[in-house]
Amino acid sequence: MRTIAIVITALILLVTHAHATDNTSLQYKNIIKQYKGNVIYLDFWASWCTPCRKSFPWMNKIQKKYADKNFKVISINLDAEPNLAKQFLASTPANFTILNDPNGKLAQELQLKGMPSSFIINAEGKIVSAHVGFTDKKKVQYEQEIEQLL
Amino acid sequence: MKVVNIYKRLVTLSLVCSAVGLSGCTSLGVEPWERDLLAKKEMALTSAPIDASLDDHIYFSKEATSGGRSFGGGGCGCN
Amino acid sequence: MQLKVNKTNLKAMLTTASCALLGSTANASTEESWQFDTAIMHYAEVDRVSATEAIIAGTKTFNNDEVLNLKVTIDALTGASPNGATAQPTPQTFTRPSGNGQYTVNAGDTPLDDTFHDTRVQLTGQWTQPLLKDYIVSVGGNFSKEYDYMSASLNGNVARDFNKKNTTLSAGMSFAYDVIEPEGGIPKPLSAMVVGDADDPNFEDDFNKTRIGSDESKSTIDLLFGVTQVINRQMIVQLNYSYSTVSGYMTDPFKIISSVNHNGEAQAYLYENRPDERTKHAFFGQTKYHFDSGILDASYRFMTDNWQIDSHTFDFRYLIPFTNGHFIEPHFRMYTQSAAEFYQPFIAQDEAKPNFVSADYRIGELDTYTVGLKYGMPMGDGNNLSFRLEYYHQTPKSNGIQAIGVLKEVELYEEVDAIIAQVTYSF
Repeated sequence: MRTIAIVITALILLVTHAHATDNTSLQYKNIIKQYKGNVIYLDFWASWCTPCRKSFPWMNKIQKKYADKNFKVISINLDAEPNLAKQFLASTPANFTILNDPNGKLAQELQLKGMPSSFIINAEGKIVSAHVGFTDKKKVQYEQEIEQLL
Repeated sequence: MKVVNIYKRLVTLSLVCSAVGLSGCTSLGVEPWERDLLAKKEMALTSAPIDASLDDHIYFSKEATSGGRSFGGGGCGCN
Repeated sequence: MQLKVNKTNLKAMLTTASCALLGSTANASTEESWQFDTAIMHYAEVDRVSATEAIIAGTKTFNNDEVLNLKVTIDALTGASPNGATAQPTPQTFTRPSGNGQYTVNAGDTPLDDTFHDTRVQLTGQWTQPLLKDYIVSVGGNFSKEYDYMSASLNGNVARDFNKKNTTLSAGMSFAYDVIEPEGGIPKPLSAMVVGDADDPNFEDDFNKTRIGSDESKSTIDLLFGVTQVINRQMIVQLNYSYSTVSGYMTDPFKIISSVNHNGEAQAYLYENRPDERTKHAFFGQTKYHFDSGILDASYRFMTDNWQIDSHTFDFRYLIPFTNGHFIEPHFRMYTQSAAEFYQPFIAQDEAKPNFVSADYRIGELDTYTVGLKYGMPMGDGNNLSFRLEYYHQTPKSNGIQAIGVLKEVELYEEVDAIIAQVTYSF
């Protein structure tokens, strides 16, 4: 019985530790450092979020359209269960960077107000605007804001 | 008069309840990215609207109470 | 394969029909965003009424999160309904509400009027959209028509989100206007039903003397205030207060009450009469809790009104999902109400007639319960099929009025058993 308990505790420690190391890199300053010089559309999504699905074709489109203008779409998946994100991506393909934030560390840091949430970041790494939601009206506005920075 | 009194008491009660509820609310709830379970269709308050409307019609016809969840409204001359 | 083709065609056809209603053209993108729910439900009481109700509802979500709901409901009702009179140890004869003919009820039986045949068509529309930041507004209307009844209503609702959408406050209002035009006209309250020889040349004149008009109406105003609160990742709670005031004709023109002598023997049948004002307050609380093994949906409603009816309703559902996507959902509902102050099972002939009186068991003391089961399964492409079977039991009870004479020997509060069967298909 005791051995089982020790093994389980060890496993739990291992798993939480693995998560912890995985997430130290997922901080705003690290992302900015890595993609410095790019205008960034930073998007937060999850598989269970219906409007998030609608934003994928648009993000694919703008990534392609502005690829040669130092523009990056970076999307952060917030699913606690990575398999759900995989299933989502199987039916909704993405041609942009996807990072995982299963514990919501970065989401917490940026104090998300809703889902989907997005941030438009200029080449200096400063957040120019923060948005919640994705609709036809909003995507026009988002694209205008991005164009102004390019 | 009696009815008016009950009414006043109920209104006061509901106002007090909602005030208490609201002030307590800020400590309740989840972050936007923690809605994976709440986002399920089955977790909607009225998750089966068709069943709800059929049931409303049956119980409206057979019992003296209607509404509460949503509008009771008018209805039918059903027996 | 054939089935698949048909299914697609049906959806395309409904989409075209819906678009025609909206005055827009069906194109590829609109075709994808309509979601349809269809259901057919059969309600059958043992030896009494049965009703079949069919629903087709379409929901379209537009690109800026506006949602349109359109719903058509058709139902057909047939069978026998209690007319309000008490059972007697002897056979009883009643005149039909229309005045055309009579019917006889056997000794010891609860008198049922078997003339109910009605078909109702109902159209419902609701438009919901976000407004500004954090607000959602909704407006809708409803129209229903059956042979002798018309109902129309309009509603509006506004909701505001607070605290990262964890708290939602909402307020709504609805106005409804109903008109009843029973065949045979509106009976004169408390007048005695003419039960003579229907072939007598004076019968029609006598019958007409018990009539005061051809139609009556009522209007209803409902106010609804609600708070929805997310408690944690698994739990959400809703609390509603609703106020409803109805003014106008709430009497049931088809219902009578037995006027009995000191030995409980029916001497006459008087048309019932209800007050023309009713104010209701309802408190409704609901919670949904996501357990690992399933989802609990529990609700409670308390209603009190100025007819002195108080009621309590408890409702529990527990949805158990299986790994293959199927689910089973047991349901239990319990309801209890006190009697309206003017409810009486019968009137003593030698006592003064009350202003308002009804022997309709549905506003008497009443307990009911429902047990049911729903089984659902995915059909691919996001389509779903489900079956529901429920048993509904009504137990009318005495409100304390003692039976006299022969009424002690008959059943004044007959229990009712009903079955609800439903098939739902969503695509």
